[in-house]
Amino acid sequence: MSKVVYWVSLSFAFFFLAAPLLIVLPLAFNDSSFLTYPMEGFTFRWFGVFFDTPPWLSSLANSFKVALGTTLAALLIGGLAAMGVMLLGRWGRIVMSALFVSPLVIPSVVLGVAMAYAFGRAGWGGGYLSLVFAHTILAAPLVFLAVTTSLMGLDPELDRAAASMGASRWRRFHTVTLPLAMPGFATGALFAFITSFDEVVVALFLSTPQTQTLPITLFSSLRDRLEPTIVVVALLLSIVSCLFILALNRLQRRGAGR
Amino acid sequence: MTSLEIRKIDKFYGVHQALFDVSLSIGKGEFVTLLGPSGSGKTTLLKILAGFETVSGGEITLDGRNITELKPEARNFGLVFQGYALFPHMTVRENIAYPLKVRRMPRDAVATRVREMLDLVQLARFIDRKPSELSGGQQQRVALARALAFRPDVLLLDEPMSALDKKLRVDLQEELRQIHQTLGTTFINVTHDQEEAMHMSDRIAVMNHGRIEQFDTAFALYRHPGARFVAEFIGKSNIFPGELTREDGGSAIFRAEGMEMRLDAGSRTPGAADLMVRPEDVLLGTAPAAGRVNLPAEVLGSTYSGDRALYALKLASGRALSAYGAARSGVHPEGAQVFASFSPEDATLIG
Ligand SMILES: Nc1ncnc2c1ncn2[C@@H]1O[C@H](COP(=O)(O)OP(=O)(O)OP(=O)(O)O)[C@@H](O)[C@H]1O
Ligand SMILES: [Mg+2]
Repeated sequence: MSKVVYWVSLSFAFFFLAAPLLIVLPLAFNDSSFLTYPMEGFTFRWFGVFFDTPPWLSSLANSFKVALGTTLAALLIGGLAAMGVMLLGRWGRIVMSALFVSPLVIPSVVLGVAMAYAFGRAGWGGGYLSLVFAHTILAAPLVFLAVTTSLMGLDPELDRAAASMGASRWRRFHTVTLPLAMPGFATGALFAFITSFDEVVVALFLSTPQTQTLPITLFSSLRDRLEPTIVVVALLLSIVSCLFILALNRLQRRGAGR
Repeated sequence: MTSLEIRKIDKFYGVHQALFDVSLSIGKGEFVTLLGPSGSGKTTLLKILAGFETVSGGEITLDGRNITELKPEARNFGLVFQGYALFPHMTVRENIAYPLKVRRMPRDAVATRVREMLDLVQLARFIDRKPSELSGGQQQRVALARALAFRPDVLLLDEPMSALDKKLRVDLQEELRQIHQTLGTTFINVTHDQEEAMHMSDRIAVMNHGRIEQFDTAFALYRHPGARFVAEFIGKSNIFPGELTREDGGSAIFRAEGMEMRLDAGSRTPGAADLMVRPEDVLLGTAPAAGRVNLPAEVLGSTYSGDRALYALKLASGRALSAYGAARSGVHPEGAQVFASFSPEDATLIG
């Protein structure tokens, strides 16, 4: 029975997730300006186009800037929230956790509209800051969840042991709790980065040509001209994602190895 | 020369009372064990001593200083946990150095002390290992070294050996006793293993349902239990409920079903009383023995263990009796009619 489930889910994963990617990715190397098979020859030409034609490179840089800013802000907010919530009683913990996680269930279109309007009114719409701010709202709950999970997994006796040896609350926090919760922070940071890096909906409402992120550029050129550069971008994004998944995997294995 | 004084501690968890009027005076350098069945409040008392739980009433003083409200980090008490609680991200060296660094001890003094502690628990070779690379017994010894490294006033141990196998437990008991003698620190150990308690402790506090039933040496607990619970909890015992009366001359007579004897009852007042006889003080014979209290009995069964046999007997009154008998020349067969006898000097009035 479990074998059947395994093979069925594996085939679904392959046909709906992997196959479309595997079919389209080789076209990044196709020596033709149309996205069609059969391939007409092998070339790195489209990579050159990506690096030479604006606004590809600048939007890649924008994406990195926004994602890094988001990661830092989300780590700070989500991490502090997680540690604060751990100090609450049972009910306080339930209520505050629900609040901190709530941005995850609000449709991003709604967030996008609301923020575009609010930032426009406040007079600082369109800048990096507004993008970072909006993405942080989306990413902080992920950091919060990751850090909460790793804090909950800590043996409460470790803190007691440190206390019995004379360590103050602050010292226990930064010598015992924090180092042991590090995998949670790292996982949260990866999630935050990826969330911001390929976020489309909110960015669509907020970015201007100066701050346009890579997914938005991809989206608009998909409408204008369908050329292999798009596949090059898709390939690059996939590689970044794969690297992140590998990193996550490593983190988990290190966590389990203790 | 009392060092740790526990006075009239009560502890409530909501409406449930976990400790009732607990008082103990523990001398400096003493090895005390809290012994009792599951749920009797041993861990609760230990947590209160460590400062992780507040008291609902009563106070604790250390050398005359009231420490009842002191935070755990201000108590200078070492603590060994059942689950060891070693820091997994630190090496053995870093674990043991932790309390020393907290106390801002100079670097080379830390290094010296860590070595010294590792020599004490014979683990010098493992100084650079992580806790996950050690066996359970080794982790336990690191935990011990860490808890002793800062020369605590009192060392608290919560069932430190319950996760170890029998052989290792006996070795570690021996080691713990030696360390105790070397350092002269006050040790308070929690266990529900009565053998462990008897082997290691200077005195044992027997706990039951949140109360201290008796606080005394292993010998006194075994030979002169102060309560029926203690008599039954420590070792095997035969208990006869009966009646104590006094003659004009002052000598006491104890009467129970099928027996009557004159014994030394100290200053006990006459009335209902329980008499305890340990199974090793009962002799079995085919004829009544002179000068002893004789009880006709039937052998229900026996457990042979080479050096001796433990008999389950039934008295004429229907009451059960257990007795150890020499088994050099075989055991009494099942169903045999025998005389169980004991000397009044070996019998003890409980309380
Ligand atoms: N945090 C708590 N809240 C409510 N009741 C508690 C709490 N901790 C302990 N108790 C209760 O107090 C009583 C004593 O518990 P304690 O843990 O001290 O027992 P123990 O003697 O250590 O038992 P064991 O040998 O099983 O460890 C038990 O009835 C237990 O249910
Ligand atoms: Mg316990």
